[in-house]
Amino acid sequence: MHIHRLEKIWLIFGISMLILFLLVLGVSAFAMGVAPPGGHHHSMDPTKVTETPPFDQPVLNKIGDKQYEAVMVAYAFGYNPDKLEVPVGSTVHFMVTSSDVVHGFEIPGTNVNMMVVPGEINETTHKFDKPGEYLILCNEYCGAGHQMMSTKLIVK
Amino acid sequence: MAESKAKENEGESLVGTFVCVMLLGAFLALSWLSVFYLFIHRN
Repeated sequence: MHIHRLEKIWLIFGISMLILFLLVLGVSAFAMGVAPPGGHHHSMDPTKVTETPPFDQPVLNKIGDKQYEAVMVAYAFGYNPDKLEVPVGSTVHFMVTSSDVVHGFEIPGTNVNMMVVPGEINETTHKFDKPGEYLILCNEYCGAGHQMMSTKLIVK
Repeated sequence: MAESKAKENEGESLVGTFVCVMLLGAFLALSWLSVFYLFIHRN
């Protein structure tokens, strides 16, 4: 089969680009454990959020040296607990569920961005290296007060 | 004779296609790399 010289060049270019993208994806997924937040490992009864530990008492726990666990409930229209404060360099493990509809959980400027699905325990982790006030906001339209649904994480 | 001429024409006409494919490839690679850069630096 005759393949034109230029055709060969762009085929090689295209195929190597595809291989590069898949390699980066494969290495980050299987060797570095990068995964989308959430997953379906843990589920709970969405109608019993206020009775199911740990979500009956949403709290920011210190679980180790510069390691925090934020157990949070998203509801229309806010987050519980509504004030979070951690020292600089802390790693925060967020565990979030919803007591009503689907909400969002995004911290602009970071890779924290997930859906908060009722009945699921949605998890993500982030290390906060820079001090400041981080906005946590809902980016899934959840009702009439959606634009007011936000909270702050203070890192100092 | 006619066949070989047709082949030649085909060869010449691929230059434009090649430029377009490479421009599209450069756009894909650049947008992928910039998104990847954002992902790494926000981690």
